Amino acid sequence: MSEKMLTEPCQAKIVKIKDEAPETKTFTIKYVDEALQKALHFTPGKFFMLSIFGYGEIPISISSSPLKTDSVELTIVDVGNATHALHPMKEGDIVGLRGPFGNGFPIQKFRNKDIVFVSGGCGMAPLRPAVKAIVGKRSEYKKLTLFYGCKRSDQMLFKEDLKEWSGVENFNTLFTVDEGTPDWKGEVGVVTKLFGKADLKPENSIAMIVGPPVMIHFAIIELKKIGFKEGQIYASLERLMHCGMGKCAHCNVAGTYVCTDGPVFSGAELAKLPLEEK
Amino acid sequence: MIQEKFVLKKENLHAFLEALSKDMEVFVPCHNENGATTFLPYNGQEIYTAAQTFYSPKQALNKPSEKEFFFGKKSSSVEVERVKQNGGKMIFGIRPCDTHAVKAFDKLYLEYGEVDPFYREKRDSTLLAALVCTEPCSNGFCHSMGTQEPTGHDLLMVEKADSFYIEAASSKGEELIKKHRGLLNITKFQKPELNFECKKKLDTRNLKEILDKGFFSKVWEEEGKRDLNCTSCTQVCPSCYCFLTLDKFILNTENSERFREWDSCHLQRFTKVAGNHIFRKSRESRLRQFVMHKLSYFQKNNDMMLCIGCGRCISVCPVGIDLTEIAAKIRSEFE
Ligand SMILES: Cc1cc2nc3c(=O)[nH]c(=O)nc-3n(C[C@H](O)[C@H](O)[C@H](O)COP(=O)(O)OP(=O)(O)OC[C@H]3O[C@@H](n4cnc5c(N)ncnc54)[C@H](O)[C@@H]3O)c2cc1C
Ligand code: SF4
Repeated sequence: MSEKMLTEPCQAKIVKIKDEAPETKTFTIKYVDEALQKALHFTPGKFFMLSIFGYGEIPISISSSPLKTDSVELTIVDVGNATHALHPMKEGDIVGLRGPFGNGFPIQKFRNKDIVFVSGGCGMAPLRPAVKAIVGKRSEYKKLTLFYGCKRSDQMLFKEDLKEWSGVENFNTLFTVDEGTPDWKGEVGVVTKLFGKADLKPENSIAMIVGPPVMIHFAIIELKKIGFKEGQIYASLERLMHCGMGKCAHCNVAGTYVCTDGPVFSGAELAKLPLEEK
Repeated sequence: MIQEKFVLKKENLHAFLEALSKDMEVFVPCHNENGATTFLPYNGQEIYTAAQTFYSPKQALNKPSEKEFFFGKKSSSVEVERVKQNGGKMIFGIRPCDTHAVKAFDKLYLEYGEVDPFYREKRDSTLLAALVCTEPCSNGFCHSMGTQEPTGHDLLMVEKADSFYIEAASSKGEELIKKHRGLLNITKFQKPELNFECKKKLDTRNLKEILDKGFFSKVWEEEGKRDLNCTSCTQVCPSCYCFLTLDKFILNTENSERFREWDSCHLQRFTKVAGNHIFRKSRESRLRQFVMHKLSYFQKNNDMMLCIGCGRCISVCPVGIDLTEIAAKIRSEFE
């Protein structure tokens, strides 16, 4: 990626907006400069610093497939100033992109393995590119399992994809919600409760986890109980970031930069990081 | 190379600074409007060289608040303009230890990972005229940190009773001397050996390993309890660089500007994300971040300690928190 793409907010046009869930929209965007769009390539798990001009610049994961780079999708929850200013924006409006940043999931290394995706809430957004990339090259991977938990069923993201993935060969998709509603026929409870319902074979497996800190914490504990080794677990972390390039030091955790060394860390690396500092 | 050595007579100091100021913004050690010593652009004010300045010269390179971008909304586009640096700068009278803080910035912004063009533009046009110390300062420990000799400087100066000895230390420095040759006198004076001892000491042997082992030491809790999180230490520190970015509108929501502003790891907001989750909630965790970034973490990517031993954080702390003492306590526990 050129210095310009990484260090200066480049104009990008919103070309499509989709209501994903309450307070959550997926924005399809394209660089205004076609050359930049052509230069763009990314691994799953990478993120952009997204400028909502005048409101701020925030880290947002790419939620679309790395196999399709003529535009990118960002799935964003309205939680604060910048995200709130973004939500009413229309098709044709301009935002700024800087990046992409971060290491991403090393999915090349996961070929010929069973893959376990664990996702909580809007953690499905950063995980979706990995699922799409792996489903897109289905024959290169073995058995696939997705565990996805949300607060309520209406908050599940990417419902069409979820339906599609459940039809993919040898892909077991399991869902749960914290609060059941009359229309919800599935499981109720935390995502880790689903682990026992799938026939996981830890020996040749890799687990990828994206979700809130507590979920990551318990997912790792439960996976280890089943027999996963630290090196077979990968999780993506979230921290305050103001630059994305290891310069502003906000995401520094005991010397490790979540923006440049991460946001994806192996279980072995995570074990060494004080994730919640007393 | 110029063979001769020069002195600038003190009676010519202001003429020299004025001449320099024609070509660049010259930051000089002086008093600010509150009476604190700091570095400010030269405007004829009295120069302060009696001791280390209270504030560091870092604001010559990274201002407390600095405009980086202008965003102008057009009907179907947004103009993105990087704020240009106009003209060169000099930090006149920067102390040797503080030149090592500039070196730390250079490593971080220019060598580690992606280059930061915002800093590069500022740094490329900045000259350092180092003023060596001939006596120990109150809380400095540059001898422990190996920062008593300047680095990356363009001019080297030694203050004498009635003059400043000046020597070129780079080709840019040499050009300056040639240009202002008329204000300088040739001298036979030799730069003295710096043979004073700092009063304060910090044992740096295996310090990173020892501190990393002491991450959960009780010392953090004991010291953290007293911490007021006033952020004075991070403000006076020459190498504290943590920044946040902030967009501000100009008059209406059409045009806006993006600023980089000093932040401080001593504040809860430093790790606060949406949903009000704070990753370093306790005072001890934030004090630890400050000290560890200085004495351990920075080395991981940048191959030097971020603390350069000026001792300003110790001088300024209202409750007497002293990172050399913290390091010594943890050493005695974990060595
Ligand atoms: C690597 C990474 C990937 C992310 N991916 C997504 C995503 O795909 N979709 C999504 O909806 N959200 C994502 N987030 C979280 C998102 O960055 C925050 O929700 C957003 O910054 C909130 O900004 P705000 O101005 O609306 O909120 P405010 O609360 O008003 O935030 C003020 C400032 O705090 C910072 N901030 C607040 N919350 C966070 C946070 N959780 N993480 C980092 N900085 C924060 C930002 O600098 C922001 O400008 C991601 C965060 C990280 C670190
Ligand atoms: S260490 Fe001292 S100077 Fe620094 S924030 Fe704490 S009380 Fe203030």
